[in-house]
Amino acid sequence: MRPEYALPMAASLLIPHRAPMRLVDTLLSVHAGGGVTESVLPRTSMMADGGGRLDEVAFMEMIAQSYAAFKGYMDLVEGKPAGGGFLVGVRRLEVTGRADAGDRLLTSVRTGTSFGGFAVVLGSVTRGDEAVASGIIKLWLAEDGR
Amino acid sequence: MNALRRGIRASAAGEIARTGPETVARRYRFAPGFIGFSGHFPGDPILPAIVQVCAVVSLAEEESGKALRLAAVRSAKFLSPIRPDEEVSIRYRRRVDSGEDICDATLSVAGKTAAAFQLRFAGEESPR
Repeated sequence: MRPEYALPMAASLLIPHRAPMRLVDTLLSVHAGGGVTESVLPRTSMMADGGGRLDEVAFMEMIAQSYAAFKGYMDLVEGKPAGGGFLVGVRRLEVTGRADAGDRLLTSVRTGTSFGGFAVVLGSVTRGDEAVASGIIKLWLAEDGR
Repeated sequence: MNALRRGIRASAAGEIARTGPETVARRYRFAPGFIGFSGHFPGDPILPAIVQVCAVVSLAEEESGKALRLAAVRSAKFLSPIRPDEEVSIRYRRRVDSGEDICDATLSVAGKTAAAFQLRFAGEESPR
């Protein structure tokens, strides 16, 4: 593998989101149809309250951004500009735990199905051994950079 | 309360209206400087889906006067992008179904549905 494709890789190189709305820090690994990212949100994050607790809505976005990072990486490897995308649906997302600023959160995503410019994505967010959220979302992915 | 929720509350453009025994509505206008547009995306601001969900949670908390924990999002469709300064009408119906605290919500712009989803809440005793 060429050095410029080595993982881990900063998510900012792969997705169009920027602070403070970029909630994924690093693409750690990829596998067939998916990948794993890392997020460590600071106390100053707009998603953290005064006690440091993260808003539950953040987990949905972490799954969406993680898949966008995976897709951006695959575009990069294929020599294409990283495409953007939108979260267009959530079939279901269950929040089963909580997380705080400073926690190391790992988000795993994999492609369920893809058709046209759409992808149905299965994702989960974990903190240590604990799953804090999991679900199935639908993304629209641009074929070329936005 | 986190900065996103403070920004959402500050973007309210009208009072909370109770339009039925279980239904609540309110208008919002998210200015270009609203924190939820920051970084999403540079030069092409679009109201993130999670901000749309968060706005409903925030409104439900304000209306009920109780902190709520989001336990699930179901059957969500984000149909059209919401841009800065558009007037957004949020409407929801909250009910108990099989013991679950359910909230069916829609966001509309100029009379057109921009998003629709169902939330499930788990109550909390202490406000955040």
